[in-house]
Amino acid sequence: MTKRYWNIILEEMMGAGVHFGHGTRKWNPKMSPYISAKRKGIHIINLIRTARFLSEACDLVFDAASGGKQFLIVGTKKKAADSVARAAIRARCHYVNKKWLGGMLTNWYTTETRLQKFRDLRRQQKTGRLHFFPKRDAAILKRQLAHLETYLGGIKYMTGLPDIVIIVDQQEEYTALRECITLEIPTICIIDTNCDPDLADISIPANDDAIASIRLILNKLVFAICEGRSSYIRNS
Amino acid sequence: MAAPSLSSTINSLSTLSLPTSSRFSLPPNRLPILSKSNHHHHHHPTLSHSSPIPKCKPSDDIDTSFFDSVNPNDDIAFNPPEPPEGFVAPPSFDDGPLEAEDEIATAYEELYGPAYSGVSLLGNDVFVMDSKLKKDTGFGSGAKKEKLRDGFEERVVQVRRVTKVVKGGKQLRFRAVVVVGDKKGQVGVGVGKAKEVIAAVQKSAVNARRNIIKVPMTKYSTFPHRSDGDYGAAKVMLRPASPGTGVIAGGSVRIVLEMAGVENALGKQLGSNNALNNARATVVAVQKMKQFREVAEERGIPMEELWK
Repeated sequence: MTKRYWNIILEEMMGAGVHFGHGTRKWNPKMSPYISAKRKGIHIINLIRTARFLSEACDLVFDAASGGKQFLIVGTKKKAADSVARAAIRARCHYVNKKWLGGMLTNWYTTETRLQKFRDLRRQQKTGRLHFFPKRDAAILKRQLAHLETYLGGIKYMTGLPDIVIIVDQQEEYTALRECITLEIPTICIIDTNCDPDLADISIPANDDAIASIRLILNKLVFAICEGRSSYIRNS
Repeated sequence: MAAPSLSSTINSLSTLSLPTSSRFSLPPNRLPILSKSNHHHHHHPTLSHSSPIPKCKPSDDIDTSFFDSVNPNDDIAFNPPEPPEGFVAPPSFDDGPLEAEDEIATAYEELYGPAYSGVSLLGNDVFVMDSKLKKDTGFGSGAKKEKLRDGFEERVVQVRRVTKVVKGGKQLRFRAVVVVGDKKGQVGVGVGKAKEVIAAVQKSAVNARRNIIKVPMTKYSTFPHRSDGDYGAAKVMLRPASPGTGVIAGGSVRIVLEMAGVENALGKQLGSNNALNNARATVVAVQKMKQFREVAEERGIPMEELWK
């Protein structure tokens, strides 16, 4: 694994509020190695470890992207949904920013059926066949298309199971994490003080509440993916 | 009542006529070896889900050694390498102009192909995913596909009719327990329920293929040592035997051992005689076994010491 420079500056992270954890009462004792202090009833995360883990994660992501792997970014918190979508589009990855449907990966066979329906509906819309239907049917199909677009819009380019999954909040996306564990897909998680660091393969202790902190971490990872992709394109 | 139709379906499967009781425990030897279920992307029209989960093995490229071996209680230092010459921080993804939808679609399509998007801006075939999925099995060929695919043989241990009582009456379903194995040391036990016997058997075969374990065997096709296993109220004791003995065990234990390829063994069901639980208990017992070589390596002593 090559160690590269990922522009991780500790002051920048403190400015974004990456070091704030959740309230003291809600902590998970397994996180104690990553917590440096307790201030005003909130745990403070040790940023040096975070920075190290983040740079190692970026290295890993860079190597994977230069090997041509597929990524999936999952983040369904309302605050983070928008930035997850933009980050994924920027990095040309798949993403899930509305509700994670149960069994999206473990029941991939059924998800594919939905994706096919989505594709057929899109096709019909593009070729204008919806005008030939009576108004009520057309309205029903449009509504179905809208639903499928919100839930499956981010994974419409996914042909199979992804190789790496990036999860933004472990508590929120617990089902997604469990699915990846059963399928043995390596996961990168942003871990806060109330999460379990042993579940994910690669855990980055950071704040998952503030939009700025999520943006920062996603920025670094997206940068790594882009670099990896461009080196993959250059090599192949 | 549903009884006559049930017995007729069972009769069609086995040559022996069975007593019409509510518990059909079919003797294993009578049933023909039924068709293997599908693999990955093949599509059976009768079943709604039949492909096993394509499991991603941890690929060699993704090297998580740092994260596996780091001990969080140590002092982890952060020493980033020097920024290269003229390093310009890349813009955040939120800044910068929003890309047009077409540009995004073309970029994705270059990377992944048109997949399920329904539009193709680079001139690729929009319905490319169809060819990878469907493999229509017509009625005639579906029945004839009784060949064993990917080397696993199936044996039905038990088919039972189970009921769920609802306001309108009783809802009947069949529960099939199937043991799947190649005769070379890999076995799996699976359960499946469906409204038809054949569908249930296929579901259970799919389920069995997901939980396959490896049986440690010596060169005389027997176990390395005794072991007990229990699952629920079923306790099973397994004991190796000298060559020429054959498998001396009852019911589901015998089937599991036979499908594993074990030729000489003794087994006893202590505790309950529930077929499914006994099959699972044999699997547990087998998982506890270790080869002599492994134990010698773990303990760091030569194998001769173990036989003292």
